[in-house]
Parts: sequence; C-alpha cells; structure tokens
Amino acid sequence: MERHDAIVIGAGLNGLVAAAYLARAGLDVLVLDRASAPGGIAMPYEIAPGFLLPRYALGSGGLPPRIAADLDLGRHGLRFIRADGGVTCFADGHYVANYRDGVVHRRELARHSRRDADAWTRYRRDMLRAARGLAPLLARPATGPARGLFAGLRARLSLADRLAELAPSGMADMLRLWTLPAAEFLDQYFESPHVKAHLCAAALMGGTLGPFSPMSASRLVWPWLSEAGGAMGGAPDTLMPQGGTAALVAALMTAIRAEGSAIRLEAEVTDILVKDRKVRGVELANGEAIAADVVISGLDVKRSFLSLFRWKDLPAGLVERVGRVRMRGVAAKVNMALDALPEFPGLPEGCPSIGGGLRLAGTIPAMERAFADWRDRIPPRDPLIDVLIPSIADPSLAPPGKHLLSAFVQFVPEELHDGPWTDESRDALRDLVTARLASVSPGIETRILACEVLLPGDIENEIGLTGGDLAYGETTLDQLFANRPFPGAGGAATPLRNFYLCSPSAHPGPFVMGGPGANAAAEVLSTRKGRG
Amino acid sequence: MTPDSLPKQDDEQAVPRPEITDPADERAPVDPALFEQVAAEPPFTRAVTATPLHLETAGESHTNRWVTWNGYTVPEVLSDLTDEYRALRGSAVLMDVSPLVKYRIAGRDALAYLERLAAQPVAPLAAGHAQHVIFCEGGGFVLGDGMLFRLADDEYRLVTEETHLAWLADSAEGFRVRVEDVSATLGVLSLQGPLSCFMLTEIGVDEAAALEPGAARWVSIGGMPVYLSRTGATGDLGYELWCDAEDAPHVWRAVMSTGQPFGLRPAGFALRELARLEAGHPRAGHDYLSAFAAIEPRDMLPPAAIWPDFSIAASKGLFNGGAALRAAAHIAPSRRVVRLAVEGLEPVRFAAVSLGGKVAGIATSTGFSPALGANIALAILDTGALAPAGLAVLAERRDGLSIVETRLPARILAEPAFSHPRRMMVPAPSRA
Repeated sequence: MERHDAIVIGAGLNGLVAAAYLARAGLDVLVLDRASAPGGIAMPYEIAPGFLLPRYALGSGGLPPRIAADLDLGRHGLRFIRADGGVTCFADGHYVANYRDGVVHRRELARHSRRDADAWTRYRRDMLRAARGLAPLLARPATGPARGLFAGLRARLSLADRLAELAPSGMADMLRLWTLPAAEFLDQYFESPHVKAHLCAAALMGGTLGPFSPMSASRLVWPWLSEAGGAMGGAPDTLMPQGGTAALVAALMTAIRAEGSAIRLEAEVTDILVKDRKVRGVELANGEAIAADVVISGLDVKRSFLSLFRWKDLPAGLVERVGRVRMRGVAAKVNMALDALPEFPGLPEGCPSIGGGLRLAGTIPAMERAFADWRDRIPPRDPLIDVLIPSIADPSLAPPGKHLLSAFVQFVPEELHDGPWTDESRDALRDLVTARLASVSPGIETRILACEVLLPGDIENEIGLTGGDLAYGETTLDQLFANRPFPGAGGAATPLRNFYLCSPSAHPGPFVMGGPGANAAAEVLSTRKGRG
Repeated sequence: MTPDSLPKQDDEQAVPRPEITDPADERAPVDPALFEQVAAEPPFTRAVTATPLHLETAGESHTNRWVTWNGYTVPEVLSDLTDEYRALRGSAVLMDVSPLVKYRIAGRDALAYLERLAAQPVAPLAAGHAQHVIFCEGGGFVLGDGMLFRLADDEYRLVTEETHLAWLADSAEGFRVRVEDVSATLGVLSLQGPLSCFMLTEIGVDEAAALEPGAARWVSIGGMPVYLSRTGATGDLGYELWCDAEDAPHVWRAVMSTGQPFGLRPAGFALRELARLEAGHPRAGHDYLSAFAAIEPRDMLPPAAIWPDFSIAASKGLFNGGAALRAAAHIAPSRRVVRLAVEGLEPVRFAAVSLGGKVAGIATSTGFSPALGANIALAILDTGALAPAGLAVLAERRDGLSIVETRLPARILAEPAFSHPRRMMVPAPSRA
C-alpha cells in the first residue's frame, strides 16, 4: 500500500499552507483534491478566456507576511501589492474612502464630520489595542486539549496572566467590543451616519450578524489584525498577491513540490480508514487506499467528520457536537468579465482606494433590514455588495484594457422562505446586482461580457462547503478560539488520534488567511516531536 | 424585526439636514458650514496644504526644504539653521505658526466649561491674558496641552498642537457653550527674539513694551487689526500675531520690511523645534502621546509625568480626570519626561537612553543647543532611572561607509538650556 507521512485532504489555501509547512519540515506529504484545479474556494477560474479570478472567494487579502516568509514564497515567485483599503458608495451619492495615510484619511473623514476626523484617533487606538491583544491568541492554538499536564497548565496560566494584566478599564473595553452591536459601538465614536455605515458595512461582510446584533462590534477589529495594520495612522490597507489568488496557489504548489511532496488532483477521498481509534489512512473514490501517519482535512468540520468517517468510528457524542456547529450561507458570489474599466462618476478621478475594493451600502438601518430579510429568507432587496475589481491593481489578470469584477452579495439566504431558489429569483438577484452597480457606475450593464451568480447552494454543490458558508462556521464567540469548531477544540487536533483539521473551521478561523493551515502543521510537528 | 415594523424615520439619518443655528441660542450645535474649509478636491490629490502665509515663506525659501506639520506644508529651514538661530538669539525671527490648531470657545458657560476641561484653575485668567492649560481624559491621563486666551468675558481661544474637537465637543455636553475649530480662519505669525519688542515699536505698535508676559491686546499693524500676544515657547522675549487669514501675508510683509534692517530673519520649523527644545517644552504627539493616541497603555502619562511642577491647585474644583488624579496623587508616575544634556561638542543622533547598560528610556526630541554648547534632548525615562549619574546615550555617527557608535554620558538638566530673564521683564526692552 502506498504510504506517506501526511495526507492533506483538499488543496485549498489552508491545505496547501499546511502541506508546505510539513514538507519544509522534511515530511513526505500528499495533497489530494477531488477538483481538477487546486485552490478550493480561491480556485482560479477563467470566466471568459483570459479573465482569471477566484471562483468563490473575493480575492482580496493575502497571506500574513509571517507565513509568506516562513514558506519562502518570495523565492517561488510570489509578490504582493499594497492597496488602500476600499471605498463605500452610498445610494445618496456620498462616499467614504479608506486611506492608509493618517493625514489624508482624517481629511476624508472631515468631509463628513470634523469631529469624526478627530474621533478617529481614539477609534484607531482602541482597534489597534484590541488587535494587539488578539494577535497572540490567533497565532497559536487557543488552549486546546492538554496534551500532557504541564502544557495545558502553562497555557492556562499564561491566559490568566493576560487577563490579570487588564486594568478594569481594559476589561470594560474588552467586554464592550465582544458584546456590543457594531452600530452602537460606532455610536460611541462617530456622529456621521456615512462614516458609521462605512465602518459597519465592512464589519458585516461575510458574517451572520446584523448591525444591531450583539457581538457584531467584534468584527470591526479584523481588518486591523494584519501586521502593518494602521501603521501610518490611517485605515488598514490590504495586501494582495500579484497575479491574484492564482499566483498564491501556484507559489504554494511550487513550494510543496520543491520539497519533494506531491499534489494529486481529481482524487476524491471518500473514506478515512480508522483502526483501533487511530486514523491510519484514506480511501479514494476509485477504491485505492493510501496509508499515512497523519491525515489533515482541509474540508469544513461537518464535511470532515460526517461524510468521511463511518459514524461508528467516531467517539461518542462527536456526531451530535459536530451536528450542532452552525454553518449557514450568507453571501452569493457574482463574477463578471467587463470589456472596459467601469466609470464611477461619483468618485474622484484617480481615487487610489478603488483598487482595494468598492462597497455598495445603505445606511445602518437599511443594513439591519437586509439582515432581517436574510433571517426571514426573503430574496435580498437591498443587499450589501462588496465589489473588487482586481484588474485595477493588477492588470495582468485580464486581457489588456479589459477588466474583471468579483462581487460578494451579503445577506443572501441558502433557501427562500417559499422553497428553493428558482431560475427567476436567481435572475432577479443578478438584475438587482447589476442595477445597484449601474447606480454608481452608469453604463456598466453594457460592458458585461460574462456574468455568473453563485448562490450559497451552488457553492455547496460545487465544492462541498456545507451551507455555502465561506466562513466555515459562524464566527460568533461560541464558535471562536477555544470553542472553534466546537467547545474544547481550539486547535487543529481533533478527538481522533492522527486526524487534524486545517480548514477555517478550526482556530483561528477565516480571519487569518492560512492561519488554520499553519496552526495544523505546527500541531502535527509538535506532536511528532513529542513522540520522538 | 420585520422590514415593515422598522420605523420609517430611521432613514432620515442619512439625509443631511441643514443645521439651523440661532445665534442667540448658545446650546445650538455649531453650524458646520461656518468654518468649513471648502474642499473641492479629494483629500488624496492634495500633496501640499498651504497655510495663509505659504507664498510669503516660499518666496523666502533658499533651500526648498519643507516639512509637514499638522497636515500643512511649512518650511523646515529657509536659509541656514545656524544663521536663523543667530538671528533668534541676537535679533529676532519671524515664523509662520499657522498650522497650530485653534478653537473658539464661547458662550455663557464658557468659563464653567473650561474649569471642567482644564486641570489648572482658569477662573483667575482675565480678559486679554493667556495661560498654559493641560487637559486630561477621565482616567487622569493627558490628552493635550495648549495656550488658553481669554478674548472677552465669555469668549476664549484654545491653541493646541493636535486636534481635540471630539473631546472638546464631548465635554461640552450640558454646558451652554460653543466649540468651533477656527484654525483655517486665522493666520499666526510668531515674532521671537530680543529685538522683537523693538521691531514692533518701530512698526508703530507702542503698546508692545507694556504687555506683560502672557498678556494680549488688539493692535494695528499696517492698518490691519492684529491680536498681539506676548507668548511663544523660545525661552526669550517674543510675541505672536493673530490675524485674519487674508490679512496674514500683509502683516508678514509689514513686519519683515520694518525688521529686516535690524537683522530680522524669517525662520522655519526646524528653528521652532530647536528653540522649543532649548526652552524645554514638550510637544504633544512628539514628546508625549495623547491618551487617545497611545496604543500601549503605558504610553499614557499623567500631567505630573510631563510637567514636574504640575499639582492640583487647592482652589480647583471638579474637572475631567480630577478624581483619578487626586486618587493617585501620592503615587509617583512610573515614567517622566526630562531634559537631558549629552556630553560632546558636535551634533550627534541618538534615541535610546540607558542606565548602567540597560535601556531606561527614549529621547523623543534631540538637537544641538548652541546656547549650552551641547547636545540636548527631551526624553521619557523610567522613574527608577532618574539617577544623578550613570545615564548614557548611544550616539550613532556615520563615518564614510561605516557607523561609529559611541556611548556618551548624559545628565538631567534641572533648568532649561535657554531661559533669559528678558522673557519676564516689564516693560519689555524696546531699545536696539
């Protein structure tokens, strides 16, 4: 029987990161993916000949510099582009842009309210403080199951130390951030409805919380986690791989192959072989069995446990616990090929922030209504739309002069209240998105060469992501840190020996790109070392 | 909540309603249009934000060296720092300090509001006088400091290094007071040096000599109304001239043409920094951080850590941060801003300050003081390192293509490197 040190199921970004770390550490790794192209949700895909964009992910954001440096991806051809972090366009013609330069960003806010421009100082301080507090938690497993008495004790003591360091005001700040709704948290800083909606919309994207849902304030912190976040006093910028996620995937593949490990595509894992409560290997759809010391799954937690194992092999209660993990689709993906750069007459010419993304939003009450629509499973009427035109910052992604548009439509239910999505409701959604785009960019509808709408259900069917939830499990406090994916986990290790999770279902979740993969590799390596 | 049950008026939040302000109603919100800079161009296209005196200083610039101060582009050095310094200590210099942030605070409760805001008593301040004020957030940590001018009984002007509008507006809750940012409407010229009073007298401002330190009054220069105050942070005699933004260039020219024969020189930001350093004044955002900007909690400092002679006056009542400061009055701050002098006769660059080989603090402003003939600095030191001896800085000097590192002994200066008795003289010396 074919045998490897480690098998990674799924060639998504996290799977590739985990494989690359393990391969660098000298392990013989085999990556298996059922698709014909690697990348998982970031799978590069040609919507029309020469137009390359990630099929399911938005394609903004890159690996944290730490991971890129650890894996030496620069040597494998990866370059990054820094872009100012996005613009929000409102239906009433106003816009708020993000600039990484503090002076410019303050001037931008002062266009809406001089007082808010000044309040930015305190907001930035509180966001960076929260981000600095979170960074160490996200960089390593969150006090997972103690392997060995002292490891667990040390982890708990260090957590206690951190909590003890918090002055009463620090504790109050932490509670404020982790319990308040985003809308009310922002009220404590800003007065301009546009500034508040701009910050709020960014926090809602990809989450299952509305602006008035408790805890949604915590999502405001995530953009500040990037290591250079706000270094220049302005808004955090975004770091995008040159050549898009395709280049990122290619660099990771090169890095893995350079270490002598292999990636096998069109190889679907159907079963995980368990013997004596230990995972021993996998079985492919064609009946082939491959043995491995460890198996690392890049699939979501439900798919990993509920469809790859025979349930009787799982420890008692695990099926129920996994079943209770909440995964719900909230966003549809719209991909477009455009034959010219869309114009944005409402935005100043040459605005550098467009490269970092464009968000079409309403006021905060309108966002709450969109959220209520999603909860009531009504087809979206006024959704939040996150648009990225990656070919602005990186023209190599489309044929010369042509452009790509990648959009997330936030608050799209998996299934409608009156049954599944029909062709009409799907077309209605496409028309709504086109109309909203045309409201900020008149004439864009005449430039569309190809357009495709992927509903949460489509995402689930095509790549097997449960619910089409691109966050791999809701990101509320009960499913984060030590509770991710279920209470008591908090890392890549699972209740099954030799079986690890490296998808964003595991800590630290979708917020740190590649973070779950790096964590999984670190846990595998430390366990191997412990066993000698 | 279903879409229908949401109240309709929620949407009105988004529609900018014209603010109706009744001039008689002091509680009414500030009409934002009144002092708004009309920004026709988007923020990112504006590489140079000019002060009202930009054309004047640009015309004087022989070096084309500029710096950004508070978002404004101002000259760093106009001719030569040594020459400008010589003029400052021997004759006088004229500087554009318009980027300072200016707030107008007016209304029936202005005094009560400022008593609440500032950590020092402000009631004794008479109209036509100015004083230094410090203001803290609720935890007793410094947000900023500035000069407070009492223009009239119910009207004040607060001049600061950084913007504080959000805090000033938050603190105004419950007071019948207006707070407005009037920075863009005022041009500010700083005339500093031993001959400054003489030059003002030459222009025809006979009132200058009689002004006490910190006092201010309206005068006329070249036919333009100018609010003249005997202020400035150079440790010497000096005045600041506050005028309409439109008048500022004319005032500049009037002062320059009169003063030039007597050695008056225009000077840039570098000289202002050097003079401030010699006089030992910490600058907000540079030598200390506003509590709202300090990401690390230990960078938030109480007033006594920055101004050693600060204490809460017995007459002072309730004020922002007062409860926390009084509760912690017996606890010495863990870090302090101090003035350092470093041995050595040539200008050097340094940042880390060490005691017994261990880093004990950081020099935030450094420069070579001609007055003392030594390198001086403002530094933040751990209180434990306030030793009479043993302090050192690691100076770096570039020699060709190599770095020469030298450890230079440093000592804490009890007095500012430059402070002339002329600063406090009344009447001010007005003879050349």
